[in-house]
Amino acid sequence: MAGTETYTLNMGPQHPSTHGVLRVQLELDGENIISATPIMGYLHRGVEKMLENRTYVQGVPYTDRLDYVSSMNNNFGYCRAVEELAGIEVPERAEYIRVIVAELNRIASHLVFIGSLAIDLGASTGMLYTFRDREEILDLFNLVCGARMTFHYIRIGGVNRDVQPEFIEKTYKFLEHVPEFMEEYKKILLGNEIFMSRLKGISKLSQETALSHNMTGPNIRATGIPYDIRKVDGYSVYPKFDFNVVTGKNGDNWDRFNVRYNEIFESAKIVKQALDGLPEGPFMAKVPKVLRPPKGEVFSRTEGTRGELGFYIVSDGSTKPYRVHIRRPSFVNMQGLNDMCKGYLIGDSVAAFSAIDPLMGEVDC
Amino acid sequence: MFGKGLITGMRVTLKHFFGKKATFCYPEEKLPMPERFRGGHLKLDYKKCIACQLCSMACPNGAIELKVVTDAQRKRHLTSYIHHMGRCMYCDLCIENCALHSLHWDQNYEISAYHREAFDYEVLTDSDREYLKQVMEAAAANPAPPIVPKKPVPPKPAEAAKPEKEGEKAEEKTETEGKPNE
Repeated sequence: MAGTETYTLNMGPQHPSTHGVLRVQLELDGENIISATPIMGYLHRGVEKMLENRTYVQGVPYTDRLDYVSSMNNNFGYCRAVEELAGIEVPERAEYIRVIVAELNRIASHLVFIGSLAIDLGASTGMLYTFRDREEILDLFNLVCGARMTFHYIRIGGVNRDVQPEFIEKTYKFLEHVPEFMEEYKKILLGNEIFMSRLKGISKLSQETALSHNMTGPNIRATGIPYDIRKVDGYSVYPKFDFNVVTGKNGDNWDRFNVRYNEIFESAKIVKQALDGLPEGPFMAKVPKVLRPPKGEVFSRTEGTRGELGFYIVSDGSTKPYRVHIRRPSFVNMQGLNDMCKGYLIGDSVAAFSAIDPLMGEVDC
Repeated sequence: MFGKGLITGMRVTLKHFFGKKATFCYPEEKLPMPERFRGGHLKLDYKKCIACQLCSMACPNGAIELKVVTDAQRKRHLTSYIHHMGRCMYCDLCIENCALHSLHWDQNYEISAYHREAFDYEVLTDSDREYLKQVMEAAAANPAPPIVPKKPVPPKPAEAAKPEKEGEKAEEKTETEGKPNE
């Protein structure tokens, strides 16, 4: 019998299924993957350095450009870190509005995940349905902050402007719509045999491996560890709301999909409760025009859409941060790619990649 | 039964095939933009503007380039307001920092262009320049009295060694360039 030889295949940097510019170096034996090495840095813009060269207030719009599918969560994380550093007390109404927009953005981001996973597996119809419904959320954001992608809505000390009655009314209408379109996805994707066979039992990760790679977010919850910073830390006004942490069992791609699918319902639940209990009051704390936080350092973490989003900021008492480091969940989750691809076929690498749901803007920062 | 899920999915697709359209024909039909919409060109209410340059200083990217002139009454006016749209992030900080609310977005979102030069957008219009000319002439006809230099303060014993500052003279028509931020 003739011996086989392994060969290297570069998937990307320009590849339709890499969600941006990422190169995955696949070591292949025939069609079997021996190893998959993600090579990053094609979208590096030096956001951390940019933040160090600008004042605290000017830095907020740059965080929009990290995880550009869920910008609200990035704004939230950065503003929370600066507020902690400067000791700014945020009014309760602002916190409620922040939670509403952050959770709406989480729904939008998970819809993109479902759509892109469907299109990566060849079901282009599935993507059209999710993008149709994401459009409703983007229109809501356009109404409240005037932008559809890079929101720059959550500011240091509160939010930019108060929500209009029209926004609240339309959000209620959207929430009524949620079970309807989720039922449609269920019919199109969840019951589909091809979709199931492409995901079930593929790219399994054990709890130990996922933990050793420090994965967070839906990726770790899919392995069965109920780790959600909204519950663990209980930051902002999240402890006031009743919601469950969705977990999976096997840690395969099917569970990763299902965790995100069910998280949409939980997020919708949080938005509903927040809208019902929206208190009156100011939407912005009194923040000095020239913000000079006292000397010190802070690490603040929030539950971003893709996992634990942390901001480490060092202040030297001037108007600009001395050092900013961003713990990006996509970047850390990407480290699990090798273990997820090893031993599976080439076609499964696309599914594995899509199931991690990384965003190149955040991976390269 | 294998294939049951496929058929259920196809039924949904078929329902939408005959259902209402979710799209619209873009160039023919246009969506109205909400009141808070950020995008397009900057619009300046020139008569309100006092050329304080706060918008330019608030910009994180240095996308606003200003040229300021001082008239005979020692009031500042803009002679040029260039919005470098290629550098602009549409973050709204310039508009929020405008003390007199004289800066706005226009609601236009069709800003693509064939040439890079089109992204250096001059915000001032011809009527603004006409107004500037009138104001400058009116100021020149009625100039403010020159600033009388203050009497030198008797130096304290500790600071006696330091050289005294000269009194500032009234400067006429000095053109200063707004420095980009950073």
